[in-house]
Amino acid sequence: MDLVLQLFATGVVVGSLYALCTLGWGLIYGTTLHFHVAHGAVFTLAAYYAYVGQKVVGLPLPVAAVAAVILAAASGLLIDRLLYQPLERRGAVRTTLFIASLGTLILVENTLAIVFTPDPLRMDIGILQTSIRLGPVFLTALHLLTVALVIVAAAALMLFLRHTRSGQAIRAVASAPEMARTVGVDLRRIHLLTYAIGSAISAPAGILVAMDVGAEPYRGTTFVLLASVGVIMGGIGSIPGALLGGLFLGLIENLGVWKIPSEWQSALSFGVFLLFILVRPRGFFGRRVASAEL
Amino acid sequence: MAAYLAHYLVMAAIYTILALSLNLLIGYAGIFSLAHAAIYGIGAYASALVALRFGFGFWGGLVIAALVGALAAALVAIPSLRAAGDYYLVASFGLQVVILTVFMNWTELTNGHAGLPAIPRPVVFGWVVDTPFKYVALALALAALTYLVCQRLTSSPFGRVLQAVRDDEIAAAAMGKDVVRVKIVVAVLSSALGAVAGSLYAHYITYINPSSFTLHESIFIATLVILGGTERLAGPLVGAFLLLAIPEALKFLAIPDAVAAPVRQILYGGLLVLFMFVRPEGILGRRRVRSTRAAAGAAS
Amino acid sequence: MTAPPVLAVERLRKTFGGIQAVDDCSFDVWPGVITGLIGPNGAGKTTIFNLVSGFLRADGGSVRLRGRELLGRAPHEIERRGVARTFQQLRLWNKMTVLDHVRLGCQSTAGENVVTLFLHPHRVRVDERRARARALEVLDFFGLADRADELAEDLAYPEQKLLSMARILATDADVLLLDEPTSGLDTEWLQRIVPIVRGLVTRGKTVLLIEHNIALVSELSDQVVFLHQGRVLARGRPEQITKDPALTEIYFGV
Repeated sequence: MDLVLQLFATGVVVGSLYALCTLGWGLIYGTTLHFHVAHGAVFTLAAYYAYVGQKVVGLPLPVAAVAAVILAAASGLLIDRLLYQPLERRGAVRTTLFIASLGTLILVENTLAIVFTPDPLRMDIGILQTSIRLGPVFLTALHLLTVALVIVAAAALMLFLRHTRSGQAIRAVASAPEMARTVGVDLRRIHLLTYAIGSAISAPAGILVAMDVGAEPYRGTTFVLLASVGVIMGGIGSIPGALLGGLFLGLIENLGVWKIPSEWQSALSFGVFLLFILVRPRGFFGRRVASAEL
Repeated sequence: MAAYLAHYLVMAAIYTILALSLNLLIGYAGIFSLAHAAIYGIGAYASALVALRFGFGFWGGLVIAALVGALAAALVAIPSLRAAGDYYLVASFGLQVVILTVFMNWTELTNGHAGLPAIPRPVVFGWVVDTPFKYVALALALAALTYLVCQRLTSSPFGRVLQAVRDDEIAAAAMGKDVVRVKIVVAVLSSALGAVAGSLYAHYITYINPSSFTLHESIFIATLVILGGTERLAGPLVGAFLLLAIPEALKFLAIPDAVAAPVRQILYGGLLVLFMFVRPEGILGRRRVRSTRAAAGAAS
Repeated sequence: MTAPPVLAVERLRKTFGGIQAVDDCSFDVWPGVITGLIGPNGAGKTTIFNLVSGFLRADGGSVRLRGRELLGRAPHEIERRGVARTFQQLRLWNKMTVLDHVRLGCQSTAGENVVTLFLHPHRVRVDERRARARALEVLDFFGLADRADELAEDLAYPEQKLLSMARILATDADVLLLDEPTSGLDTEWLQRIVPIVRGLVTRGKTVLLIEHNIALVSELSDQVVFLHQGRVLARGRPEQITKDPALTEIYFGV
């Protein structure tokens, strides 16, 4: 029983990491309909920004982390500004944007692999390493920080989308871009904002993972693709859905270990995913299915 | 030197089959798949296993490979294509991961990381294929056959339906075409052919292990297709032959081994981005006049 | 109107996030007659088309084709049942030839089935010849036969409109929904298209069309359904509707 509780707890922690990714990626996908795989590059860059901030520039960890988030937000924004928007102006279709995104992800990952080597680069996380005991469960301060962060991020995002003008503009664009444009919303500006926010929300996930096991150049690909799975399972356009989707993935992965050998974790997650879309393509809370509908 | 050239030709032929089959999905059905390496691997393992365990011949192995590949595709395509294009992309990623996990961990079946050695040489109509020249002949013949199959498919009424589905599936549905069924058929065919490439590979290299069938490999195959050009049948062929020459060309640049792989990847990634800006239709594509598509009209 | 209606729309409803786009709409479409859906912008006309053809899911009501319910079916199934539609934005396949557009309409040609394609090449050839002949005949009806091998994107706009109608005529559907067949056409083309649309009825089709040009309504329809804010305000002969001052005010006043 203790084992199950421990696995559940780790599942929540990993699920929170995934949820940070699904929240950010889901916001971008839901608003722009871009299949932004380069989000994985932003995730990875955030980790390296933090590493360089602390280990090369010598900043204290919190400062390095915050700086990394800001830089990651800027990186995401730049990808839209320098890649997607120019391509869209040339009349690019969605597949073209996806391919360019994929190419960017590959470029960034491998450049980082050359500059920093493929080996994980560890950071000093000081007190965050301390072990905390909650009943039979052992977690580190870093783990608790992760869960706290995703709760804060989800709440902040919800408030932002509901109560600020920019947030409402983003929602308008997400539900009906043509209509939003008619009422005067500057689509390009909203896209840039969406990318900045989406990247800022997922960046901490990359940083937290780096703090835990080190910064690695190729991890972003797995995370972004898992994020897309989580978004679909949770339901496109829903914040609770994104949270639930990410959490669900983390829980399957970890609770699965109880009965199934750990090497089969990912197979289990995807098996569940396929079953899910067979039964409920809309996801937990999705309003719509991402299809070519009128 | 001749052996070297023969190796290049065999691999180029194998990748031609992979690229042609993937292009059925990407170029003709308008669906992106990240699982083609997994399908490739399924074909390789299926063929190798029936040869090693049950003594199947080359053709038998080929057929089994195609069937298993088709089945795997169907299992993924049927639930995900009912929903929409992006679902297949994500599901294909899932398939890729699951299949690779099976290759690496179902050790009783696949021998895991150690791989399957001593796969027998193909015997084609009583003729043992054991020299480079013979392999080249076999590989090129299979590639040509694949090309003909794809050509028959795409220049037929079915090909017409495919084009309609790809260019505007709403209009296709309004004309009575079962868009989902069409896409599923293409996914199944594409995988059957991709698995055939795997079978050929297994009997050529005579040793397979999971590292040849990763997500990176899927992306590489997609890169061949995209750079070669998705609009013409010969595009993937050009992509395969050209891109396979690149690693060889790079060898002349004396890049240190440690960074050779990332450097190659940077080149592919860079080419992908560059092409999307400069020539998204690929090398063999028809230069098209760019136009922004208007969104579907709202209520009137 | 003693024959039973081919298409019976009953209490159709559709809401879009708070806006009642189609509200309790009921009307019938009879065979051998052109029914026109008219009304000011945003009245819900295209939404009704989308609901009937299966591209939108209705919130309530029923649409019966010869007594059988259409709602809830997929668009391609509805077309197979006999209801085909055009789109206001045409939705042609730009890189496809005119002939191919129409050939696609000829149903279940053997070559569309992959198994038949490879195993019975002879059957495919025969079917293709039949499809080609039928397609050319349809193109001839629309006056597009000489453009058969051109790409759709190379046609003039009026010809593209004709093509969008030609391809659905090639299907076996007997109920044709035409979404604004006359919009964007100059007077010369208007003269040409009216007899073509009438000709569809002569060929045995039932036509329901959306018409924006109130001047054309009398020429183009035998029955008219006036829609406003999602509701059916009036049904009747064109003269009754277009001469009604209250309705005209609604039409032009909004």
